[in-house]
Amino acid sequence: MSTKEEEYRDIFLTEAIENYNEINRLLTVLEKNASDIKSVHALFRITHTLKGNATGMGFESIAEIAHILEDLFGAVREGRIAITADMFVSVYKAADVLGELIEAIRSPRDVKYRGIKTKLEVMLRTALAQQPADIAIHDPIQGSGQHTTIASELLDILGEEELDEEKDAKLSFSHLVQVPVQKLDNLLNLVGELVIERDRIIASGLGRHSANEYSRLNRISSDLQYSVMDVRLVPVDFLFNKFHRIVRDAASKEKKIVTLKLKGTETEIDRNILQVISDSLIHLVRNAIGHGIEKPETRKQYGKEEHGTVTLEANSESDIVIIAIRDDGGGIDIARLRRKAVEKGILSLQEASQWSDHDIMMLIFEPGFSTMDEVTSLAGRGVGMDVVKKALDSIGGTIHIETKVGEGTTFFMRLPSSMAVKSTLLFELNSETFAIPLSYTERVISIYKSDIHTVANGLITVYQGKTISLLYLHDLFRHERSSMATLERFHPEAKLEIVVVAFNGRWVGFIVDKLLQQKEIIEKPLQKPVDGVSLISGVTILGNGNVCLVLSIPGILNTISHTQHNKISL
Amino acid sequence: MKEEEKNRANNVRNVQIVVFRLGDEEYGLNIDQIKEVVITPSITRVPQKPSFIKGVSNIRGNIIAMLDLEEKFGLRKTIDEHAGSNFTLVIDSFEYKMGVLVKEVPNTLSIAESAIEEFTLAGESNDEQSYIKGIVKLEKRLIIMIDIFKVLSQHEEQQVFKKQTVGVGV
Repeated sequence: MSTKEEEYRDIFLTEAIENYNEINRLLTVLEKNASDIKSVHALFRITHTLKGNATGMGFESIAEIAHILEDLFGAVREGRIAITADMFVSVYKAADVLGELIEAIRSPRDVKYRGIKTKLEVMLRTALAQQPADIAIHDPIQGSGQHTTIASELLDILGEEELDEEKDAKLSFSHLVQVPVQKLDNLLNLVGELVIERDRIIASGLGRHSANEYSRLNRISSDLQYSVMDVRLVPVDFLFNKFHRIVRDAASKEKKIVTLKLKGTETEIDRNILQVISDSLIHLVRNAIGHGIEKPETRKQYGKEEHGTVTLEANSESDIVIIAIRDDGGGIDIARLRRKAVEKGILSLQEASQWSDHDIMMLIFEPGFSTMDEVTSLAGRGVGMDVVKKALDSIGGTIHIETKVGEGTTFFMRLPSSMAVKSTLLFELNSETFAIPLSYTERVISIYKSDIHTVANGLITVYQGKTISLLYLHDLFRHERSSMATLERFHPEAKLEIVVVAFNGRWVGFIVDKLLQQKEIIEKPLQKPVDGVSLISGVTILGNGNVCLVLSIPGILNTISHTQHNKISL
Repeated sequence: MKEEEKNRANNVRNVQIVVFRLGDEEYGLNIDQIKEVVITPSITRVPQKPSFIKGVSNIRGNIIAMLDLEEKFGLRKTIDEHAGSNFTLVIDSFEYKMGVLVKEVPNTLSIAESAIEEFTLAGESNDEQSYIKGIVKLEKRLIIMIDIFKVLSQHEEQQVFKKQTVGVGV
């Protein structure tokens, strides 16, 4: 059995044991107060879930018992039968058998379950037949003759079984522990502090002790950190598997034939990231079906197979996970996007003709931009794609699109595999230390002051044929409109270090005083009352105990483009 | 009658307050609100925040926002930044992580709960007074009791208000 199947089995077992315990609890509640309709509802729901899960896992015996119990409580719920005292005997018995069957998954053995199943079926049928006369009759065996005999015979058989089963009435425990994510977050925070403290001790001890003095501390704390991070990782499978249904529903609504292919489902990713992107993924998949895949007739005309394919693929690349959403539909009509952008007044005619295909495609992530002429229930309302973008920004992910007319479109989401640790570049500015996430850092260049040109209150430079606008962070923090005054302060022949970041295909360079080092940091969010700062995504504590701000590249670039818009409107 | 009063006096609940100096006045906070007093660590400035929030510091692994109440209350006469903000009162709160910068070592006092007098500023409704909980008069001293959380919530409301007006302006 593969490890993945084992994992599923363990998860099923954990849930099943929980269900079993809950069934027993609810039964005792119901027994004391037969009119407690809430318990009946709960029992119906739990047995229904258990039946579904068991069927999914191929545990037919559990499914069968759960099924008959579900039917029974369903009937009680709908008021078609009344539950009586002697029914409880059988129901408890069924619950016990259920528990044994669940236990038998872990330590295989033969459990007789058909007897109790038939008995319950008979009981239910008898009770149902009786119902019109008087549901309050407390002795179902008095009902119809034939069934009663079977039932009582069975009762005898079961009576025998009961004797030897009394012995192993022990409690069963699952091998899995369910832990609230909150607790894991706390644990990770503590480990983060430990690592910071370790760095501090090592930094202060340098010179006095040899480096390998701390190698064990180093190793143990690193192992601990990665173990805790590992606990938070889940296979993307958890999310991908939900898409079979989503694709089916979306395709049938659109009257298209679509199959879903999953690849790289064992790729692991932080559970919180999966949660953040789940809505985005649903949106992109629905979009691929709504916009991408053509109608079967159209596909036939183009000589394609009638059924379209949507592929979800996950790959990991060091500390990044790439999720690709691929369709083999018509591709994105870039010429139409250009027209649409002009019609909507987002771009001028000139801009529309000058912008690169890539930039034009990124427009679909702008709020209110939709290419569908008709609005369907799935896509075309122009809401959603901007939400996808926002969700990715919030976790430091990026998205890009590849498309070929007639062949299909692929959306690539690049996601950090863990939210806890970020690779960053540390630099110094005005004797304060800042961190830039490496995922946004394009390159580090050093240029002479004479290479910097001033254009309309801003600074630009040309590097390898690319125009980069430059920014002095403190100007932004102090809301200075012009960076020219800042530039004046540098010596005319000074060589300046520039960190170039890329976001949405835009390159911006930050002028820094001094580059320090590359470092894995543990980022902490800013809490009240210093929350809600858009330029900063969080902070980290440096080895020397000082607090270091982590720049939010999406936040900074959005702020810049907004001020630019304002300038134009003014 | 007199005996009853005496009894009441004996049963009077005492509260502990932490007294610190801001400008020329003495201010007080309930001791429950204060977790510890530490020597002010180095402060990292944070953009996009009002100037009385000096930045954030690392206090025992917690990220704490540092507040300069002298600046907030408009009590500073000279412009010397941080001059002698040697100590930090770390506020104990789940929601807010913050510390208050003070110049001198604060001291604690035990006063009768009834010694805190209700107080209303003369003049029309004043924003400043909402975070003033009361006044304690002790011989020649006068201690202004404040509610540190009100100081901030008020500032937040102002921020929201500011955003709205900016929106109208553009």
